[in-house]
Amino acid sequence: MYTLSKTEKDALEMQARNVRKNVLRMIKAGRSGHVGGALSTADILTALYFNIMRVDPKNPKWRERDRLVLSAGHKCLALYGVLAEKGFFEKEILDTYGSLKSRLPGHPDMHKLPGVETNTGALGHGLSIAGGMAMGLRMDGLDSKVYVIMGDGELAEGSNWEAAAAASHHGLDNLLVFVDRNTLQISGPTVQVMSYEPLDKRWEAFGWNVTEINGHDMAQIVETARSIPFEEGKPSVIIANTIKSKGISFAEGKVNFHYWKATLEEIAQAEKDLEKVGE
Amino acid sequence: MKKGELLDPRQTFGEALLEAGKRHDNIVAISTDSSQGSGLTPFRENFPERHIEFGIMEQGAIGFASGLATTGKIPFIAAIAPFVTARPFEMFRNDLGYMRQNVKVVGRCAGLTYSDLGATHQSLDDIAIIRTIPGVTVVCPGDPKEIVGATLAIAEHEGPVYMKIGSPKMPVLFNEDYEFELDRGVLMQDGSDVTIIGTGTVLSKAAEAVDILEKQGIHARLINIHTIKPLDKEIIVRAAKETGKIVTVEEHYLKGGLGSSVAELLALEHPAPMRMIGVDDQFASNGPYEELLGLYGLQSDQIAETVTAFLGK
Repeated sequence: MYTLSKTEKDALEMQARNVRKNVLRMIKAGRSGHVGGALSTADILTALYFNIMRVDPKNPKWRERDRLVLSAGHKCLALYGVLAEKGFFEKEILDTYGSLKSRLPGHPDMHKLPGVETNTGALGHGLSIAGGMAMGLRMDGLDSKVYVIMGDGELAEGSNWEAAAAASHHGLDNLLVFVDRNTLQISGPTVQVMSYEPLDKRWEAFGWNVTEINGHDMAQIVETARSIPFEEGKPSVIIANTIKSKGISFAEGKVNFHYWKATLEEIAQAEKDLEKVGE
Repeated sequence: MKKGELLDPRQTFGEALLEAGKRHDNIVAISTDSSQGSGLTPFRENFPERHIEFGIMEQGAIGFASGLATTGKIPFIAAIAPFVTARPFEMFRNDLGYMRQNVKVVGRCAGLTYSDLGATHQSLDDIAIIRTIPGVTVVCPGDPKEIVGATLAIAEHEGPVYMKIGSPKMPVLFNEDYEFELDRGVLMQDGSDVTIIGTGTVLSKAAEAVDILEKQGIHARLINIHTIKPLDKEIIVRAAKETGKIVTVEEHYLKGGLGSSVAELLALEHPAPMRMIGVDDQFASNGPYEELLGLYGLQSDQIAETVTAFLGK
């Protein structure tokens, strides 16, 4: 089993801080955005791109690369933040967020930006697309893996469970889903809006092998994700317990920061908060 | 394939897909249950490892097809028309259209051809909704030769495609040497009094109507529009200029289909009086297929009557 060294862990935490700063940089440029889910998933995305996934920013269409499908497309500020940090595109592009014809739309567009694999945003689409990728890669005899980030609110969409059934039926063990369980959606606590518990049992019943982790603990993220398939012949899912808007003091765990219309004062405070993260 | 011979459209498609599969080893066939009913048996038997079954899961199957296409596969999904168009419309729009994936969706038993099964299974809005998606090619082959030609052509074409085929046997309308060309309308008979534009399953009815009219001394031009999107503008505008009046014939709602496409074009390019024959804003009834066509004015003698009334004769 892979063990994350102290040096690697420190480096990942520093990268994650930079990713969060990138998120804030875009919010500052566009003055609004889906901050809550971006920050709850920032550590997972950082771990994926800086430790787990096989990608080459200089060759974003590399046939043997691993794929990331951001099913919860509204978390794209974190994806843009990590792709910029990884060198898929120049960081100056981050300052165009919110401007006319920006290459950073509010939900990702694979034709606008290198490194973006899918056009998501309509919830409940990502898992089936990812399943098709996993199937195609397996048909080609490649050992590439497909990673998916889903929101917990998104799980109310029935199309996810179609995809979950098909992925297990076809034994796609090169597929790993992270459920970013930040427990909040736009109108309130997720389980009050539409209950999904027992979440692990649901996935198990659909034929997946399930593990639960702290989605802000780099060692847990890396070591768990690097051990897929958890069971040969089965797709894997990690239920990652996270905090919405993680890293911004006044927004953490607050439902009204799902989508943030930011004031300059709030941005200044958030910038200070992010300087403290990781210290 | 001999002119006048009656052939099963699904079987014809299935044999064509097998041929396409021999030419392109990256074609995969996707079924959502009833692969046999979708004509996939020859492909499945020859390339079992390239046939993927999804059960009754059309939304999921379209997403999987999109993902497969990102790895260089050419997925052909064949299923009952409304279940791969109206039901998973958002997946079609986003996963295939917006993502510009090289996936071919074949809606079979389309139009009224599930005549006795009622409106849930009939597909009279598929062209209307799918042609709103940017970059999607919409094809309605008008005879078995066109089904073969279109299947091979869309396999070569890079991009998402919707192809609509029926279920009852249909007559071969074209000669042996006919070559199907995607995006190009076909002048099937020249004429100067009026133009009839037909598509898909009822192209043969339009062709018969032209013969009836000819006997009455009316020289109707017959144009086959097998590709509704992108539309062959040139052949339609020329017909409007040269024959003045246009009649469209389709097994589809009047709203949003071939007639609408032609009207949208002519309103801007060369306004011309039109009549549109199809189903007008109602869930269609049920019963024997040919009788159902008659209920909506789609039999050849009815088409001819509509044309003569339109011409004031």
